[in-house]
Amino acid sequence: MDLIKYFTFSMIIFILGIWGILLNRRNILIMLMSIELMLLAVNLNFLVFSVSLDDMMGQVFASLVPTVAAAESAIGLAIFVITFRVRGTIAVEFINSIQG
Amino acid sequence: MFNLFLAVFPEIFIINATFILLIHGVVFSTSKKYDYPPLASNVGWLGLLSVLITLLLLAAGAPLLTIAHLFWNNLFRRDNFTYFCQIFLLLSTAGTISMCFDFFDQERFDAFEFIVLILLSTCGMLFMISAYDLIAMYLAIELQSLCFYVIAASKRKSEFSTEAGLKYLILGAFSSGILLFGCSMIYGSTGATHFDQLAKILTGYEITGARSSGIFMGILFIAVGFLFKITAVPFHMWAPDIYEGSPTPVTAFLSIAPKISIFANILRVFIYGSYGATLQQIFFFCSIASMILGALAAMAQTKVKRLLAYSSIGHVGYICIGFSCGTIEGIQSLLIGIFIYALMTMDAFAIVLALRQTRVKYIADLGALAKTNPILAITFSITMFSYAGIPPLAGFCSKFYLFFAALGCGAYFLALVGVVTSVIGCFYYIRLVKRMFFDTPRTWILYEPMDRNKSLLLAMTSFFITLFLLYPSPLFSVTHQMALSLYL
Repeated sequence: MDLIKYFTFSMIIFILGIWGILLNRRNILIMLMSIELMLLAVNLNFLVFSVSLDDMMGQVFASLVPTVAAAESAIGLAIFVITFRVRGTIAVEFINSIQG
Repeated sequence: MFNLFLAVFPEIFIINATFILLIHGVVFSTSKKYDYPPLASNVGWLGLLSVLITLLLLAAGAPLLTIAHLFWNNLFRRDNFTYFCQIFLLLSTAGTISMCFDFFDQERFDAFEFIVLILLSTCGMLFMISAYDLIAMYLAIELQSLCFYVIAASKRKSEFSTEAGLKYLILGAFSSGILLFGCSMIYGSTGATHFDQLAKILTGYEITGARSSGIFMGILFIAVGFLFKITAVPFHMWAPDIYEGSPTPVTAFLSIAPKISIFANILRVFIYGSYGATLQQIFFFCSIASMILGALAAMAQTKVKRLLAYSSIGHVGYICIGFSCGTIEGIQSLLIGIFIYALMTMDAFAIVLALRQTRVKYIADLGALAKTNPILAITFSITMFSYAGIPPLAGFCSKFYLFFAALGCGAYFLALVGVVTSVIGCFYYIRLVKRMFFDTPRTWILYEPMDRNKSLLLAMTSFFITLFLLYPSPLFSVTHQMALSLYL
């Protein structure tokens, strides 16, 4: 029962992250934060399963995932900066210059 | 101990080459003594050379396959499949890098980091192909993707390029998140991340009811994550935008190299790692949807790169037919399809790069190419006919073998949809050829002759496409070896 409670908790955070990306209307920083939320939720999932299975590989995986998340947000922020320099805004409505 | 290092010697070499080229580029391009030279071409040639040396190290290291077994229990596995797949990946990367040199000169693109990132991403792809554990697979996929996010946005002053980079980042990060969630569900339900252990647990496993819901969700999410990454329908959301907005060499890379390595990973996870429990229906559905969308949506396109993006989505659909079968013939046809697809795509993008003089964006710009540049028009026609699947070119062979494999395992509907969409797709390929040969544009556009690298690449790929039918057996036997070693 405990496992399911913790797993539901991280599943809710994961779904919040997905909703944040799909239902975003404000600015694209929200999207980056939602991606971080998704990766964090999966990390928590790994830790929960590792404790419940009494296996070490989950904690190994959970210590490697944040490095990837950090690199991804660094690259994301750099791309947002150059987008802002070119356009002057980071509102989501204006990300549509490629049509078709 | 030495066996461990010898086994990954090509990757060690390419990582070292990446760092040395990075330091070389930084030191020399910021030195006042040499007057701040732009080092893109310089680092480009050195990068091409290091890819070729890596290829040599890999190809000549065949005896290492027997002593590399120490890696199996940990994270990587080297066998015939990875051997040939990595050789093929390095050849495609070398071909695509050689297309870029003219682009650097014309666009005055000074960033040498472009090549450094491509080398790093190639190293990531080499790891991806030989990955044998969910951890290694995820980390290698991320290494490859992160480098590509940056180079997709590398033209910093252009709105298109930054938007393409942004969309690619969001799409790629989202799909990696979903893939990772699938990995965590499989780990949670089985306690194993190594493919050998997963194979022992999952092969022949029947997914029934609530007992196996964890495994079901895990495999579903991993499949969805992979399908996002190969831009299959219905997960192809921004792929045409990304392909259109990125600089053209980056689009060439995006269409060729990640697809090869992601397909290798898909084969490992779904054919070796979990055979019976695979959701075959999802791949059936995505294959059919990709073929249909690729055929129909490309008809309305007026821009060349977007047309190539949709045709690549359609082709991924055909290649997924081979995967949906699950037989050795199916996998063999998938590998043949990927090989021929990569060659045709290299051909197509080399031609698009060669026509860049006055920024050919629209298809209408290709008018009367046959009168100004007849050989280029003929080469483009050969490529388009090969995409359409017209015999006796290589594209026909790959599609024929894919449909043959589908019929052989009883997937009659798949083969039927494949044939019908192939015929529908012929329309827009032949319309391009017609524009070149029979249309006269309002203003005639004259193109400069292309440089030596692209002409060599085009000569080799068109030669292969035209004459493949006469002697296809080396490719068939190589892919048969690869497919067999996937099952061992």
